[in-house]
Amino acid sequence: MNSRSPTPGSQTSLREANRARIVESLKHHGHLTQVELAGATGLSPATVSNIVKELSASGVLHTESASRSGRRAIEVTLARQLGLVAGLHFSSRHLRIAISDIGRTVVAENHVPLALEHRHDSELNRAALLLTDMVESVNASMADILAVGVALPAPIDARTGMVSTPGLLRGWEGVSVAEVLGTRIQRPVFVDSEANLGGLAEFRAGAAKGAGGAAYIRVGHSISAGMIVNGSIFRGVTGKAGQIGHVTIDENGAICRCGSRGCLDTLAGGPALLELFRDDPGMQRLRDLLVRAEGGDASARRVIADAGRHIGIAAASLCNLFDPERLVIGGELAQAGEILLAPLRHALERSALQGLGGFPEVVQGELGDRAELLGCLAFAIDHVGVDADFRAISASNFATG
Amino acid sequence: MPEKAERILRLRGIGKRFGAVQALSNVDLEVYAGEVVAIVGDNGAGKSTLVKILSGVHPQDSGTIEFFDTTTTIDSPTDARDLGIATVFQDLALCDNLDVVSNLFLGRELHRNGGLDEIEMEQRAWTLLRELSAKLPSVRIPVVSLSGGQRQTVAIARSLIGDPSIVILDEPTAALGVAQTAEVLNLIERLRERGLGVILISHNIADVQAVADRIVVLRLGKNNGDFRVADVTSELIIAAITGAADYSVKKTVPAPTLTAVAR
Repeated sequence: MNSRSPTPGSQTSLREANRARIVESLKHHGHLTQVELAGATGLSPATVSNIVKELSASGVLHTESASRSGRRAIEVTLARQLGLVAGLHFSSRHLRIAISDIGRTVVAENHVPLALEHRHDSELNRAALLLTDMVESVNASMADILAVGVALPAPIDARTGMVSTPGLLRGWEGVSVAEVLGTRIQRPVFVDSEANLGGLAEFRAGAAKGAGGAAYIRVGHSISAGMIVNGSIFRGVTGKAGQIGHVTIDENGAICRCGSRGCLDTLAGGPALLELFRDDPGMQRLRDLLVRAEGGDASARRVIADAGRHIGIAAASLCNLFDPERLVIGGELAQAGEILLAPLRHALERSALQGLGGFPEVVQGELGDRAELLGCLAFAIDHVGVDADFRAISASNFATG
Repeated sequence: MPEKAERILRLRGIGKRFGAVQALSNVDLEVYAGEVVAIVGDNGAGKSTLVKILSGVHPQDSGTIEFFDTTTTIDSPTDARDLGIATVFQDLALCDNLDVVSNLFLGRELHRNGGLDEIEMEQRAWTLLRELSAKLPSVRIPVVSLSGGQRQTVAIARSLIGDPSIVILDEPTAALGVAQTAEVLNLIERLRERGLGVILISHNIADVQAVADRIVVLRLGKNNGDFRVADVTSELIIAAITGAADYSVKKTVPAPTLTAVAR
């Protein structure tokens, strides 16, 4: 990555390491004042001030006068002209696309409804065309995109870049999305599961901010969790960590698409909930269920509450194993708010181990249905580095995160 | 108390003959409020004939049309409009030289003090377009300068001016690029959220599966399946369209299985 790496231990290498620290913390936090930067990096305020001066002179950072609790401060962000990143979130029923600058300001956003069992070839093709269109609409070219982050509704094996488990996303099996899309658009692409990236976004700038350890449970068409351990995503060996949708709830239950029986998904996943309303033509999507529940329909509320109870049982096991400080509930069904959360909390408290401070907090996500998309952007920004010549570069081409 | 969706439209045993050609025979169709029903089929399956019967272009030879549980007849386009059935035909029928507002209110202009109430019309146009999250540069530019997706948007918005309960879209995404198709698909979602019944005619199975709740297959002028989107794969739909699988039995088909195709 570094073409001319300086002698280890030298003054130059120390300065470079400090520079990297500052750029890293800005990638994580978006914008910070110089004082906050000193706190986040552990560098002295004088060092921070020197490096910021140097980096803004070379166009890597952008500074602006601001005020914090009445005092004058200098707010630092990564400079926009460094380049753009793109995020693509393929969920079970939607494709969301966004382009943002490196300072995490979204400059273009679009979405399309997708067919239930979408396939990799047509959807990647569509995504590439839409992305090209959007890049043009902000008067940029594809070459300005430094990295692309992609979220898929299935666990991804980082070693192969493919879906780790058969059955969960049939149209996308055996394909390295990073490689296929990377070749198509000639930009570096990084892929992860939607739960992991949603969790990343809520941890960086949402409801899980500041939590020592957090789990983001995504409740929608399927149920999965992204776990933040020690400040980074915990993926496991093959990326399957956090797939709580496939925790067995009923040993003799219905057959799940993963091949097992009575998984949480077969009881509380979107299709399972809607199946209960089979004879009702007005109940075809999770959105319909939410609208009904909000309107006070008793059966809709009951179905969502039962889903919450089942998820609470699986979440309790997750808490006992990982001991997170906070559980953030996201995904479409999370919009039901307390209708889902209260029974979930109740079930969790029945089966989870109680600590001195009580049980892990259960809160609704703050980023709504854009969490995963923002996670894609953050994930892409994480893979952008600034090299010794102050050029923005992307970590390694066609790699998965 | 569970309040089920209201049934807006019910066709029973619709037949239509053009000389020696039996275009439709014994076709059934139901549309509920807030539901997107896609009608798919090969060329000559009777999709367009069905749309023309519903929009009052020509009346059916046999069968009944029920609108909100009342039997009715649709003898002319005016009848269809008065009932609350709006149709957006493939050619859109927009006036290229007129601006967006004039197109929306064409034939239904608002008057004030003996003249046109341009301000009120423009305000209503903006409100409507905003509700549809439409991306238009201006409502005062001639329609000819808009993109294909934007023209489709204007045509759909125009159909909503008369407050219909059913909107029929005939091949809305044919001849559109990827970004414009996305725009139209999002627009169909908006119509659904407004509680309208939407009838979507399309050749594109992927688009249909993305936005429809139910798919009605026509083959050679007859029903060949009525599926909930959650129950079918694109293979099954194509099998029903081509006739490789036979679902022509009357009444709604229960969840089909793959063995039905194998047989």
